[in-house]
Amino acid sequence: MITFIVRRLFATIFLLIVVSMITFAIFFLIPRLAGQNSYELATQYVGRNPTRAAVLAIEDKLGLNAPVYLQYARFLKAIVFGTHYNSGTSTTYCPPPCFGYSFKTQQPVWPQMVSDIPVTLSLAIGAAVIWLVGGVTIGIISALKRGTLFDRFSMGLALVGVSLPIFFTGLIALELFSYKWPIFPNVQYVSFSTNPLLWARNLVLPWIVLALLYAALYARLTRAGMLETMSEDFIRTARAKGLRERTVIFKHGLRATLTPIVTIFGMDLGLLLGGAIITEVTFSLHGLGLFTVEAVQNQDLPEILGVTMLAAFFIVIANLVVDILYAVVDPRVRH
Amino acid sequence: MPDTLLEVDDLHIHFPTDDGLVKAVDGISFSLDRGRTLGIVGESGSGKSVTSLGIMGLHHGSNARITGHIKLDGEELVGATANRIRELRGSKMAMIFQDPLSSLHPFYTVGAQIAEAYLVHNQVGKKVARKHAVEMLGRVGIPQPATRADDYPHQFSGGMRQRAMIAMALSCDPELLIADEPTTALDVTVQAQILDLIWDLQQEYHSAVIIITHDLGVVAELSDDILVMYAGRMAEYGSAENTFDQPGHPYTWGLLASMPRIDEARLERLVPIKGTPPSLINVPSGCAFHPRCRYAGFTDGRSQAEVPELREVAPGHLVACHLTGDQRRRFRTQLDLEETEASAARMTKGDG
Amino acid sequence: MRRRRTIGLAALGAAAALALAACGGGSSGGGSGSSSGSSSAAGFNAAITKVVNPSNHKGGTLTFADSSTTDSTDPGNTYYAFSWNLTRFYTMPLMTYKSCPGQCGLQVVPDLATGPGVVTDNGLTWTYHIQPDVKFEDGTTVTSSDVKYAVERTFDRAKLPLGPNYFSLLLKPQKPAYPGPYKDRSKNIMGLKAVQTPNPTTIVFHLAKPFADFNYVVAIPQTAPVPPNKDTGSNYQLHPWSTGPYKFQSYQLNKQTTLVPNTFWKASTDPQAKQLPSKIVINWNVNANDLDNRLLAGDLDVDAAGTGVQAAARAKILSSPTLKASSDDPISGFLWFAYLNTVVKPMNNVHCRMAVEYAANKTNQQTAYGGPVAGGAIASTVAPPNVLGQKHFDLYEATTKPGGDLAKAKSELQACGQPNGFSTGIAYRSDRPKEVQAAQSLQAALSQVGIKTSLHGYPSGTYFSNFAGVPKYVHNHNLGILMGGWAPDWPDGYGFFDFITAGDTISPAGNTNIEELNDPVVNNLLNKMAATNDATTRNSYTAQIDMQVMKQAAILPEVYAKSLLYRSPNLTNVYVQPYYGMYNYAVLGLK
Repeated sequence: MITFIVRRLFATIFLLIVVSMITFAIFFLIPRLAGQNSYELATQYVGRNPTRAAVLAIEDKLGLNAPVYLQYARFLKAIVFGTHYNSGTSTTYCPPPCFGYSFKTQQPVWPQMVSDIPVTLSLAIGAAVIWLVGGVTIGIISALKRGTLFDRFSMGLALVGVSLPIFFTGLIALELFSYKWPIFPNVQYVSFSTNPLLWARNLVLPWIVLALLYAALYARLTRAGMLETMSEDFIRTARAKGLRERTVIFKHGLRATLTPIVTIFGMDLGLLLGGAIITEVTFSLHGLGLFTVEAVQNQDLPEILGVTMLAAFFIVIANLVVDILYAVVDPRVRH
Repeated sequence: MPDTLLEVDDLHIHFPTDDGLVKAVDGISFSLDRGRTLGIVGESGSGKSVTSLGIMGLHHGSNARITGHIKLDGEELVGATANRIRELRGSKMAMIFQDPLSSLHPFYTVGAQIAEAYLVHNQVGKKVARKHAVEMLGRVGIPQPATRADDYPHQFSGGMRQRAMIAMALSCDPELLIADEPTTALDVTVQAQILDLIWDLQQEYHSAVIIITHDLGVVAELSDDILVMYAGRMAEYGSAENTFDQPGHPYTWGLLASMPRIDEARLERLVPIKGTPPSLINVPSGCAFHPRCRYAGFTDGRSQAEVPELREVAPGHLVACHLTGDQRRRFRTQLDLEETEASAARMTKGDG
Repeated sequence: MRRRRTIGLAALGAAAALALAACGGGSSGGGSGSSSGSSSAAGFNAAITKVVNPSNHKGGTLTFADSSTTDSTDPGNTYYAFSWNLTRFYTMPLMTYKSCPGQCGLQVVPDLATGPGVVTDNGLTWTYHIQPDVKFEDGTTVTSSDVKYAVERTFDRAKLPLGPNYFSLLLKPQKPAYPGPYKDRSKNIMGLKAVQTPNPTTIVFHLAKPFADFNYVVAIPQTAPVPPNKDTGSNYQLHPWSTGPYKFQSYQLNKQTTLVPNTFWKASTDPQAKQLPSKIVINWNVNANDLDNRLLAGDLDVDAAGTGVQAAARAKILSSPTLKASSDDPISGFLWFAYLNTVVKPMNNVHCRMAVEYAANKTNQQTAYGGPVAGGAIASTVAPPNVLGQKHFDLYEATTKPGGDLAKAKSELQACGQPNGFSTGIAYRSDRPKEVQAAQSLQAALSQVGIKTSLHGYPSGTYFSNFAGVPKYVHNHNLGILMGGWAPDWPDGYGFFDFITAGDTISPAGNTNIEELNDPVVNNLLNKMAATNDATTRNSYTAQIDMQVMKQAAILPEVYAKSLLYRSPNLTNVYVQPYYGMYNYAVLGLK
């Protein structure tokens, strides 16, 4: 088990390096293929009517005129060793992992991302709990009561839930429950430590909207998985042993059904931790998703790199955890 | 204690489907004493598994319509409450299945699964149940049972797994054991071991055993009585001796002829029974076997029109066929001659 | 100066929101907020001409929200109208615009200074005296060195690249060029020779050439005093040292800014601002449609960007008499137009350009920008009505035949030798829905006379820096027509026309004279404007320049932009400051 984890950790580092390389490549090489040089790239980060000297100064300061591999090397060095930054009147040290300074605001990227993490975390985990419990429960009940009104109704609802995009349900939710009937006015993120009650109240709408999509998916998945599992031979054996139906369903059936669900859950959660972009934008929650949108719109390379690698990191860790969990749950994988 | 453990009387198991009514079991009757073994033989789709599942009450939850009688030790099972049957399952009657790898839960240890079976029917502590599980594993011939009880099903070989299944089935000392194709998934050498094990355990526990199979070789070894099923109905029923020496039904003749024999050179192709098993929704009129029967033409059309009744052709030997006793003897002798000639030809060829 | 346009992501939800608006639009008093107050609303456009809800009531938290972020809160490093408006909460530049509605608000008046600049030396020297008792937020007195230092900061375009660069262009140069106070700090701090501070209350500017608009230049927030020992360079934006009625309490970048009263501010030194709310909060990056809904519901007080509500809210407001009575539709000071490039063939021929002027369907263009209320009035001149000296004229029947005059267009095509039309490209910013629509509508109108155009969309972040503002790119891609918008950095003719029509502003990147007009008449008039001190004479040149640019058909004016603003009933002292084209922020209070 230990060797397994160590190997995976090395793979993680390797993967993150690859992700950073690809991001770098996309940022620099693709505009170059379109004929843009580093001078033109630098003009985005200056105000209007810049003199040539001003653009060159920015180009130099941001290091854009260096060859791409050199910029990449500097970037890697900053992550591992940190870097020094001259704000004009003083020199600050940006400790590792240093994702550099935003091209636009000249402020360090890492602290900004870190302050955004709790928002995304709150959103993702809260929604995850809701969709996992809700979706799986409905899926189980639907599978057990296959063909009944409950089954048809809930699966129909699930189909609708899966098909509705978040920005649609989000807007409807806001319109109804925030503006029209001010049950949840002024949805704004309040940190848990400041006011736990308000934190929860303001997240209810985003949680439900985000969870709805996934709950629908998980209900369908669980139902399908449950149906398949319940037709397995070992279920027949369990019944043949004279076990109570409840034991058959939950101890034998559910346990087998849940393993693939847990895998998918890990991946979904990992992805969300990198930023539930649409939900955050719809509800104006300052998490990693909103950060990403902003970074891309401003073509702010350090921010883009930072959030991409952070998201990749979350996904890889989530995968790792899922793989370990799988090995714990399914003994066939262990040997 | 009376000797008759199981009495099945005119059992029908029908499944209404969108395509029509599937008559999986259509009028089966037999009885089984303690300490005796019944072999139920037939092709796939003959209704043998459905019968055994019906006895175990495992059709609950599906839309099966069961009529007739199943009396286990005098207690009527058809129409009994689900809970009562569940109590009997595993404790009084137990079943083992064809593929032990898929029939055991992959996530729980073998020991745990056996202990579970014991715990549900006995008010004991976990330690006692575990001890019992280890004991059972030893009883079925698994070496180092205490260590192996903590292994998972996939860590056992095929034969060991089947032994473990048997251990699990017998953990509550059932009076009736149903083995559904217990050796089909195993090697020939392991097959023999498993059959020996079942025989030994039966001697030890004095339980009644039903073996369901399509393999006459398996049946020949273990059974005291044989029931041949076709299209959900009984074709032939009698003692193993009678049925093998004097088979009365053309279907049984076909089964015997199509059996690979170890004493014959394998130069000839096996002689299969022509045609395919019939649809259980649209069972052929009259005798269900008539479309595939060589001798259907000899009954003045009764094979096509009338469902043959079970008739006693010898004491305790029942056959459902329209052929007269004479016809039967004649055709049987003919078949024997054909066989002898064929095997002589084979032996000559073999020399040359 | 750049106005903020809202992010295109809002368009994602616009369709759904529109549907909802239709559902909710009919209800009266769409704002369910109980804080809408008992008084009836002052009426549509009331705040354009008068102060609505005048009051000196103190207290409350004034809440702003913005659908994006500001470029910077550092007064030396910002170039957005709303940002300059916001800086008046925490800074006092040398001069500022008078806090009053209507034409009154276009006047530039002393703020930190005691009077307008005293001009000597044939217009080359401008001397200002500053008030002696203005204090920073820590109680230290403001001196002229602090103002000089603030101006010096604008010379380091690497550290502070985002603001205007008038000082480095206008002040007398030195050799070697002044690098700003960050490089070689001990040597260069206070090293700008063109600015002198003979005593703590006097500051003298030496210009390279006479520039009569210099009072306007020092009204830019870049002259707000910065104490050198409190300057943290690119981190200064996190806490600019305040001389205004409020100071920074906290600033979570891209999330929220909180301002609290500056106890050292004295109302007597700063009559253009007030200190009424007990707290000011600005929420950044709030979803645009969400923002409008909260504004209407009373959950927030002001949309900081000040460029008007989105389409969905607009529909709600215009269809509800109650909401409409609480809204204003001021001229924002922007002109939406198309540059007609004078180099790309065959647009280099003035008659081909005139054909475009005649053929365009002005009504459709107006509709594309949002119609008469939300888009603006059909424009026939380059300068909008709030530019000093603007006169109305109409060379191409924009107001008399707003549907276009295809006959005249065709005859112009004959004159330029393209009787069957020609092909060219239209460039536009693809993340601005209005501009997209305007480009499409123009394409449709021009095709009626045979002018076949291909549409080329670009992201607005790089539109000027990489595409439309790069003449080489424009030529290579045959972009004869380029959509754009412009508002002056100060409200007179020079401020409006210089960057977009002067021959010497054409530059290889970040070009603002995108039509590449290099007309001697225009150039000459602009130079005269810069050298003339007399306001009346100067302003008279505005109309002349305008006329010449239109004669050259170098620009196709579309609309004098208007923004539909919602005026929250919670606010006091609300009125439109015509220079910013939005509400005057520094005087706002709450009921």
